Amino acid sequence: MAKGDSSVRCFQGLLIFGNVIIGMCGIALTAECIFFVSDQHSLYPLLEATNNDDIYGAAWIGIFVGISLFCLSVLGIVGIMKSSRRILLAYFILMFIVYAFEVASSITAAVQRDFFTTNLFLRQMLERYQNKSQSNNDDIWKNRGVTDTWDRLMLQEKCCGVNGPSDWQKYKSAFRDENNDADYPWPRQCCVMDSLYKPLNLDACKLGVSGYYHSKGCYDLISGPMNRHAWGVAWFGFAILCWTFCVLLGTMFYWSQIEY
Amino acid sequence: MRGLDSLASGVSRSSSDLPSVLFASPAMDLEPQLASITFATNNPTLTTITLEKPFCMFNVSIPKNVSYQVNLYVMVNSGSIWNAAVKDNRSFPINSTFQETAGGQTAPYKAASFILPPCGDLPNLDKVGDMSKIAEIMSTYLVRVGDNTYCLLDPNFEGTCNPPLVRATEYRFKYVLVNTSSGFVEDQTLWSQPIQTNQISPYLEIDTWPGRRSGAMIVITSILSSLVFFLLLGFVAAVIFSFVSMGSSDLETQHESQISQEVVPKAQGTLETSYSSVNRRQSLDQAEVYTSKLQD
Repeated sequence: MAKGDSSVRCFQGLLIFGNVIIGMCGIALTAECIFFVSDQHSLYPLLEATNNDDIYGAAWIGIFVGISLFCLSVLGIVGIMKSSRRILLAYFILMFIVYAFEVASSITAAVQRDFFTTNLFLRQMLERYQNKSQSNNDDIWKNRGVTDTWDRLMLQEKCCGVNGPSDWQKYKSAFRDENNDADYPWPRQCCVMDSLYKPLNLDACKLGVSGYYHSKGCYDLISGPMNRHAWGVAWFGFAILCWTFCVLLGTMFYWSQIEY
Repeated sequence: MRGLDSLASGVSRSSSDLPSVLFASPAMDLEPQLASITFATNNPTLTTITLEKPFCMFNVSIPKNVSYQVNLYVMVNSGSIWNAAVKDNRSFPINSTFQETAGGQTAPYKAASFILPPCGDLPNLDKVGDMSKIAEIMSTYLVRVGDNTYCLLDPNFEGTCNPPLVRATEYRFKYVLVNTSSGFVEDQTLWSQPIQTNQISPYLEIDTWPGRRSGAMIVITSILSSLVFFLLLGFVAAVIFSFVSMGSSDLETQHESQISQEVVPKAQGTLETSYSSVNRRQSLDQAEVYTSKLQD
């Protein structure tokens, strides 16, 4: 391949442009995943307690991949400008590794999204909320995390249970074992509170008089942010991978044409 | 029944037409009713049942100087319910407690007693949103069976104990009108229809499996897998192509130039150095051959 040829220059320019995009996407991916991992809605304890927090694993991989993509795009640009076979070979090998990781991250995020069902959080809530049975440290830690998260969620977001307050009435739960039904048909956090965080009217709350208890379920407030974030990690990763695929194929073609 | 029905729907209907049904039917035809489901949505619960108080149920023309109270009797629904008596031979109301009747299984027990609510004193359920009135509305309108969780534990408790009921059990209720000055039972309602407390299902039965996979997951998984395959295929093709093109034309010229580059300096070097160099390597030996050729 003759280096001075204008069509070659044009092809080089295209590949460099592709790599610049990869680098910028890498930074964006890192930023997005850091935002996800930082857990703005403090919902991580709920995921942790399901023993299924792979979606956070996917986000951590995304952080690593984003930085790597940025560095590798710089390497790729240098290799293309110098037309160095060795630099480009190193670029390919490293890129394959990063590519594989990002595929893993994207697929994990997409798969885990499907698991965020109402029943998953319902069962976990019934099993762990206010569960004081001392089995092992791990369970105690998770139970406390779930209890605190639910207390905060129901109080702040003005919701009750996963589907609604009736969750506490329909199913056997650690909360039910801990509290009697007559006084606690559902947790106090389900009552509408005044400015001092005392129930407006406790008896009305117990009986479910409208306006004195939160009739709305919390599921949307849990699954909403998680689904959005997982969606971002999965589909943004997918878009980056499609773009990188094209750039890599082009670079391979260029590489095979370089003279020693 | 008519009086109660109109009360149950009292949220929507005005109370002006109530006096017409006030003394229309004797209490013998009436029975206690569950509180309006639009008002108390959580009823019955696992261990409590909330009833309407007996408004305009008893066919008495109340003299001004006599006060009445109403006793509420509770019994587990069974075949012997029709024989169950709530007054003794001398027409006094019975005072059996929750413990004495094994929670209402053997005989009715007295769960609550309150002053007969005046017929014209119907609570306005439209005003439930008013925080200052809700407590009053609830106390005049409702009686909650199973409300008191402490009286069984308290040995010094005096008065009518109203402990929580049993889950998934059918109960029947009866209101009895008692003249407080004479102490006699003056009237009573029928036993109510059986009302069942709720039962709960274990959470282990909840299936958390997501079921069908989403389209997004299938698309991402399949496309990314095939992209990885094509990428590796492309790399292999690029490697093979570069070797093929290298072998065809460039390889020979490069080889020659390499040889000429390598050999000449070494040949010159060996010319300068003496043959007595100790560490002779293979390359040197080759160089010797070349130098000898050069010398020729």
